Amino acid sequence: MIGALWQVASRQWRTHRLRVAMTTLGIALGVAVFFAIRTANAALLDSLTLTVERLAGKSTLEVSAGEAGFPEEALDTVRATPGVQLAEPVIETIVHTAFQDEGNLLILGVDTTGDQQLRQYEFDKSQTEIADPLTYLAEPNSILLSRAFAERHGLKIGDHFPIFTSHGKKEFAVEGIFKPTGVGEVFGGNIAVMDIYSAQVVFNRGHNFDRIDLTNSPSVSVNELQQRLKARLPAGIEVARPEMKGQELENAVTAMRLGMTITSFIALLVGVYIIFNSFTIAVNQRWKEIGVLRAVGVERGNINAMFLGEAQLMGVIGSGAGIVLGYFVAAAANRAMGSIAASVYGIVTIAVAPRLHPDLVLTAFALGMAASLGGAWMPARAASYLNPILALHNIESRQKESALGWGRVALGATVLLISMLLIQFSPFGVGMEFQFSYAALQLLGLTMLLPLMVHWSARAIRPVMDRVGGSEGALAVDAMIQSPRRSAATVGALMVGLMFVYSTAAYIQSYKNMINRWTDQMLNADLMVSTSSLLRSTSYHFSEDLGKRIATLPEVKHVQDVRFTIVPYHGDTAAICAIEMDTFLVRSENAILNGNKKTAEALLPSGAGVLVSKNFAARWRLKAGNQVHLDTPTGPLDLPIVGMVEDYRSDKGTIFMERKVYKRYWNDDAVDFLDIMLKPGQNAIAVKHEIEQMTAGSEHALVYTNVEFRTWIGSLVDKFFMLSYMQLVVAVIVAVVGIANTLIISVAERRREFGIIRAIGGYQRQIRKMVLLEAFSISVVGVLVGAVAALFNIQFLSRTVSTVLAGYDVPFIFPWLLVLETFPAVVAVSLLAGWIPARHAMKAPVIEAIGYE
Amino acid sequence: MIQLTNVTKSYGTGGTVLALNNLTLQIGTAERVAVMGPSGSGKSTLLNLVCGLDEPTSGSVKVEGVELSGLTDDARTRLRREKIGMIFQTFNLLTTLTALENVALPLRLQGLSKKEAEGRARSMLARVGLADRAAHRPDELSGGERQRVAIARALIFRPPLLLGDEPTGNLDSATGEEILRLLDDLQQEYQSTLLMVTHNAQAAEFCNRIVTLHDGKIVEDVACGRGPARDKA
Repeated sequence: MIGALWQVASRQWRTHRLRVAMTTLGIALGVAVFFAIRTANAALLDSLTLTVERLAGKSTLEVSAGEAGFPEEALDTVRATPGVQLAEPVIETIVHTAFQDEGNLLILGVDTTGDQQLRQYEFDKSQTEIADPLTYLAEPNSILLSRAFAERHGLKIGDHFPIFTSHGKKEFAVEGIFKPTGVGEVFGGNIAVMDIYSAQVVFNRGHNFDRIDLTNSPSVSVNELQQRLKARLPAGIEVARPEMKGQELENAVTAMRLGMTITSFIALLVGVYIIFNSFTIAVNQRWKEIGVLRAVGVERGNINAMFLGEAQLMGVIGSGAGIVLGYFVAAAANRAMGSIAASVYGIVTIAVAPRLHPDLVLTAFALGMAASLGGAWMPARAASYLNPILALHNIESRQKESALGWGRVALGATVLLISMLLIQFSPFGVGMEFQFSYAALQLLGLTMLLPLMVHWSARAIRPVMDRVGGSEGALAVDAMIQSPRRSAATVGALMVGLMFVYSTAAYIQSYKNMINRWTDQMLNADLMVSTSSLLRSTSYHFSEDLGKRIATLPEVKHVQDVRFTIVPYHGDTAAICAIEMDTFLVRSENAILNGNKKTAEALLPSGAGVLVSKNFAARWRLKAGNQVHLDTPTGPLDLPIVGMVEDYRSDKGTIFMERKVYKRYWNDDAVDFLDIMLKPGQNAIAVKHEIEQMTAGSEHALVYTNVEFRTWIGSLVDKFFMLSYMQLVVAVIVAVVGIANTLIISVAERRREFGIIRAIGGYQRQIRKMVLLEAFSISVVGVLVGAVAALFNIQFLSRTVSTVLAGYDVPFIFPWLLVLETFPAVVAVSLLAGWIPARHAMKAPVIEAIGYE
Repeated sequence: MIQLTNVTKSYGTGGTVLALNNLTLQIGTAERVAVMGPSGSGKSTLLNLVCGLDEPTSGSVKVEGVELSGLTDDARTRLRREKIGMIFQTFNLLTTLTALENVALPLRLQGLSKKEAEGRARSMLARVGLADRAAHRPDELSGGERQRVAIARALIFRPPLLLGDEPTGNLDSATGEEILRLLDDLQQEYQSTLLMVTHNAQAAEFCNRIVTLHDGKIVEDVACGRGPARDKA
């Protein structure tokens, strides 16, 4: 039976090669995008893991305390702990070199002798050890370089080159060059090693270490040693396995990876629409054939199996082709993701080329197959339930499509309502993956309601199309109204793409408005000085001396030192903004929300209370009056929350505290930003130039006027959303392919209809006009339903992504203007996509078309 | 009305299949001609050439004195729309449109407003006895009703030439006779020329002339008494 059915099906494939090819292409594209993104994701994770492994060396545990580090006395405690075989302190910092067009340089401050037992430093063949060990240890400006960096700048042993340190620009002497293996692979080869005590001095670490890397003795398990160390060290100092650092890095790029994953699923979803459409048409085309098969004794199950078998075969071919295509695209996606990870998150890793992960190949293949079967499921079922008596009659016997069945509409509305309730009332704790499934549920509900939305929209535009497009316009819209399922499948691809475009644009615009509101309230200094062109540097800081020097300028009224750092908080992390609170309260008197201003003025300057950002309060369910407990490197710190502020520098939330308190508890007087207030009537640009001259050749200081700072923040936001823009491009490309595909299929399906129109006196140009007007109608309806779907998706972005996941209160604005602006583009793309099918339709031979069933 | 002179139509590379072989046929105004013959004799090809859907390999096809081979596709289409009404065995109605919309379609293609087109279509549906079925789609109509809708559509322009391709081929004999009576009435009312391809002797009897084809040639061309006799009656 199967063999006979396959013979029937294969003839259909030969007859409808274009439909089969376009359908298979739809699957291939969906799978390709999915596989490329997942493979690039995996390559990024591989590179994160490899970087961590290379940096960690043989360490089995790491001791750390956030970015500020911890007192060096902890090393004695660690080394004295039974079960510790080897413990080596580390200072890790990323510095700017004075070389033109050179990226940053990662410097590891280590005790080179001891550290070589932990990490792999392979020196050049010509050199078995450090050139002059005594000079290396005695001179704080001695440094060992990776061969990659040295060769790039023509440096050899004995040469000098400049680096910006916390004490200004300093010349460093090359005392050794190591091979690009082991540690030398990290950071694209831009790595250097120096003595840890020299690093403490030149990078203003005082008597702190950033980390202690250690190994356990064979007699003690890693877990046991971890517990012992935790018991001996202050609560603010963490002991963790090195791979946890990899996990932290992964967490940092979670948003990016999640965004890309969503894009990949959207591509697959459009693939499902394409399959659904193609098979609905196939069933219509093969109406009589199905009737004949049923009449000669083929059971329902076998008819169903025939269509699903075809879907499977298309799935196999499409998925296979998609995986091959995706593998090549993955290299480009990997470069893009690596670039974003470096520029937005400041994570630079060892480049790892994408490789074929068997589990990803299987997953992509399985999803391609699932998409094919899922898309073909309903049409196959419809085919198997076809009434053979009706099917054997003429083509006019076909019953009206029942896609507008109220049962389906009620189910769709219910699913949509459930998704909205889940989005609105779901707590943070249920897990990110679970929360993202709400969006899938929302899309499922919208898809079920799509035929109804298409029907209503088409009816709404029919009078206009009738008036503007004449009979062809009305016929084009009628074709949509009368075939809601086919039209829904066509519009579905466009709806998903446009929904994504509109809601993402709304998110970006609303986010930017929110940032503007924040910069108005909080970032109101006349001039600002930053250590980095990124939002902040995690390792390069100013000393307090710079602020004092700037304060001596006659135009300057006041300089405020700001430390912005990340600390461990209740098993997660939080940002700390250490600032002089008395000046902060004067400058940002309206910034405090949900708190008593008088209490704040009384407690904050003395360090007896803290402000927290709204997202911190939302994340930890805190309010004014609650206590914040912090485990600092020098002991516990408990302070009451006296108010909240808006701040968007950290998605984990920010604690604002008096700088003196921070310095005391964290033993850290580094400075990340300088807020400079000028005396009345002073020219900010002139003072900016003065500060630039003052810091030239010493600090790597970026000086901004208030306007420039806001622009800079805007550019950072744009960088952050670079990924979203890429997602938009993917969504639009897939939607365009979807439109072209479905229009070609639609024309194939309506071949007989066009033949009849030609036979009763329709001109060729009328047929072309009809197809193009249908493409136009699809674009109009697509924009309408895309906008409606975006309204729902915005609820998800607003509630789940912003409020629940990030704790940001984003006031959403629907991008009506964008909807209007994109309309001509969507119409143009649709007409372009419809052009070839339209020409195909008008040239089709009438006699064959009429005889075609 | 129709004049075919030395018409040959061949298909396939090198003209391997000869559908019409040097055929000459003349049909006058208001004549009712049945074309009969076995499958593959060239009946449908003849019809396709007369309505301008196909072109002869050689020879001349004239409708109302106009040489079709000299016309552009647009001109042939206009001729088909305004001068020729076509009725098919398989009805060829648009399944997505109602009976009313199907009948109004040629008028709408001509550029008439929906209101005007549907007004005229409604009258024509009433004329074929389907006033109460106007809002029904083809799948909600019986075979006979569908063919009535197709006839209404074919006659909406009151064309001088009516072409039928086995118009009763898909109908039972009672319904077929009903359709033939309707065609008979309408042909007399509009004084159209009727050229009908059929296998059905009963249908051929409704005509006043029967042309029999075999292998692309006319093998018999005889007058038939019943049609004109009925006319006279």
